[in-house]
Amino acid sequence: MAGILAPGLGVLAHLERLETQVSRSRKQSEELQSAQAQEGALGTKIHKLRHLRDELRAAVWHRRGNVKACIANVEPNRTVEVNEQEALEEKLENVKAVLQAYHFTGLSGKLTSRGVCVCINTAFEGNLLDSYFVDLVIQKPLRIHHHSVPVFIPLEEIAAKYLQTNIQHFLFSLCEYLNAYSGRKYQADRLQSDFAALLTGPLQRNPLCNLLSFTYKLDPGGQSFPFCARLVYKDLTATLPTDVTVTCQGGEALSTSWEEQRASHETLFCTKPLHQVFASFARREKLMSLVS
Amino acid sequence: MDETVAEFIKRTILKIPMNELTTILKAWDFLSENQLQTVNFRQRKESVVQHLIRLCEEKRASLNDAALLDIIYTQFHQHQKVWDVFQMSKGPGEDVDLFDMKQFKNSFKKILQRALKNVTVSFRETEENAVWIRIAWGTQYTKPNQYKPTYVVYYSQTPYAFKSSSTLRRNTPLLGQALTIASKHHQIVKMDLRSRYLDSLKAIVFKQYNQTFETHNSTTPLQERSLGLDINMDSRIIHENIVEKERVQRITQETFGDYSQPQLEFAQYKLETKFKSDLNGSILAEREEPLRCLIKFSSPHLLEALKSLAPAGECRIQKPLCYSASYSQGTQDLSSC
Repeated sequence: MAGILAPGLGVLAHLERLETQVSRSRKQSEELQSAQAQEGALGTKIHKLRHLRDELRAAVWHRRGNVKACIANVEPNRTVEVNEQEALEEKLENVKAVLQAYHFTGLSGKLTSRGVCVCINTAFEGNLLDSYFVDLVIQKPLRIHHHSVPVFIPLEEIAAKYLQTNIQHFLFSLCEYLNAYSGRKYQADRLQSDFAALLTGPLQRNPLCNLLSFTYKLDPGGQSFPFCARLVYKDLTATLPTDVTVTCQGGEALSTSWEEQRASHETLFCTKPLHQVFASFARREKLMSLVS
Repeated sequence: MDETVAEFIKRTILKIPMNELTTILKAWDFLSENQLQTVNFRQRKESVVQHLIRLCEEKRASLNDAALLDIIYTQFHQHQKVWDVFQMSKGPGEDVDLFDMKQFKNSFKKILQRALKNVTVSFRETEENAVWIRIAWGTQYTKPNQYKPTYVVYYSQTPYAFKSSSTLRRNTPLLGQALTIASKHHQIVKMDLRSRYLDSLKAIVFKQYNQTFETHNSTTPLQERSLGLDINMDSRIIHENIVEKERVQRITQETFGDYSQPQLEFAQYKLETKFKSDLNGSILAEREEPLRCLIKFSSPHLLEALKSLAPAGECRIQKPLCYSASYSQGTQDLSSC
C-alpha cells in the first residue's frame, strides 16, 4: 500500500534498499573471499611449518644418534690424543733445550715487539762467565733501547762505527771486548782467590782489569826477595798483557840466577794467563818442598 | 792530638744518630774492637762522645783519620747533600785508559796543593770502582775550613764524576781541572742533572735504570693488573673502558718500563711556543716572536708521578730529556697537557 500512495518515494526507497543490499552482499562476499584466501594462506603456512618441524626433529634425532655413536667410539680415540700430547710436549722440551744451548755459542737473541734482544754470553777457557744484554729497536736509524754493558766498555764508540752500517761487525766487535774483559776479570779474580798465599800485598786492579800490579813471592815465608809485577793490557780485545815489567823489590843488583828468574817470569806473564802462571809457581813450590 | 782535630771528631760524632754509631765506627776501623767494647753505648750521648774522644786521643788520631770519619758519615747520609753531575771527555785518538788509582790520587792531590797551599784532600775507595774524595778548602793565608768540605765521587774509567753542591763556588774550576788532569781527560762539563739521590743519578747517567731483558728462559706472563673498574656498571661500558685503559697502560709501560724509576726531584724545560687563539684580540696569539719561558716540574719523586699521570687520565707528555739515548742539552718541546 505504501508503494501506491507514494509511488516515487516508494520506488526510490526500494531501489536504495536494493542498492545497499547489493553492496552489503558484495562486501560480504568480498570479505568471505579474503577470509577464505587468508585461511588458505595460513593453511599452507601451517603445512610448511609442520614440514620444517618434522625435518628439524629428524635432524636432531640424527645428530643425537651420531653423538651417541661417537661417545661409544671415544675409548680408542682418547689414547691417540694422549700420544699426540706427549709428542708435542717432547717437541716443546727439545725446542727449549735448543734455545738454551744457543747460550753456549756466545751470541743468541730473542725477537721482541720492537726489535731484538741480543744476549752475549762470555766465556774464558771453557768457563761460562757473565752475560750481557743489548736490546735493539729495529727502526731507521737502528738504535739501542737499553743494555747491561758496563759503562767502561766503549759501547757508544763501537755503535758509532758499526751499528748503522754493519750490524754483524757491531755484534762481533762488542763480543770481542766483552769476552776479553770477562777473561781478564776471571784471571784477576782467580789470582786473588786461589793464590793469595803467594801474594805479599793486595792486588791493584782497575775496572777494565787492564792494569794489574802486585807483589809475590815464590816461597811464601821463605827468604827469597819478593817480585813486583806490573801487567798492562793496552789491547782491550786481548786477554794477555801487551807489556809486562817484573822487578825485584830489594832493588839491589840481582845475582844471575835471580835475573834469569825475573826475565823468565816476564816471559811467562806475557804468554800464559795469569792464574795458570801462578798455578805453575805453586806446583813448582810443592815439588821443591817435597824434594828438599 | 790537635785541639782542632779533637773538636772536629767530636762534632762529627755528635752528628751521627745513636742507632748508626756502632756501624759507622766499625766502618771507620780506627778504634780497635777492644777499645769499642769498653764504651757503654747506652749512656747519654755526651758521655759516649767524651769516652770516644779519649780513645781517639790515646790512639793519636790525625786530621786524615778525622776526615775519613767525615767521609763515612757523608756516605751514610748521602741524601743530605745535593749532587751535581760532571762529564769529562778525551781528545780524539787518545790512548787506552790505563787507570792507576795510586797515580790518580797523587796527581789530584798535587794539583790542588800546588794551587792552594792550604787544602786537605782525603780519599776513600768503594767496591764499585768509585773513589770518594773529600776536599776542605783554605786560602794562601787561612787554614782549611773542615766544616764546609766538598765531596767528589769519581767512577774510574768512566767520564763521570758527582760533586756535592756547595756555596764555595770559586773553587769549582780548580777542582774540575784537578779531576780532568788526574784522570787523563781533556775537558770537563757540568751536566743539567742534579739530585739528592746519587743512586738515581748513577742509574740515569750509566743507563742502568732498566735491567730487565727478554730471554727465552723468562716465563713471566703478561702481567694482568687490576684496572680498578666498577663491576656494577653496564658490561658494555666496562668493555669500552677496558680497551682504553689497556691502551693507556701499554703506552705507559713502553715509555716508563716495568722497573722502579730513578728518583728525580725536579725537571726544568725551556719552552718556545706560539699560541693559537680562536678569540679575536687575544694578547698572546698573533705574535711574530715565539713566547719563551722556563717550565719547572717538581715532586718528591718526579718520574713516578709522571708515570701515574697517564693512567689517571691527566695528560700527555714527552719522555724526559734524560731518557733519550743521546744526551742533548738543547730545548725540549712540551706537548700540550
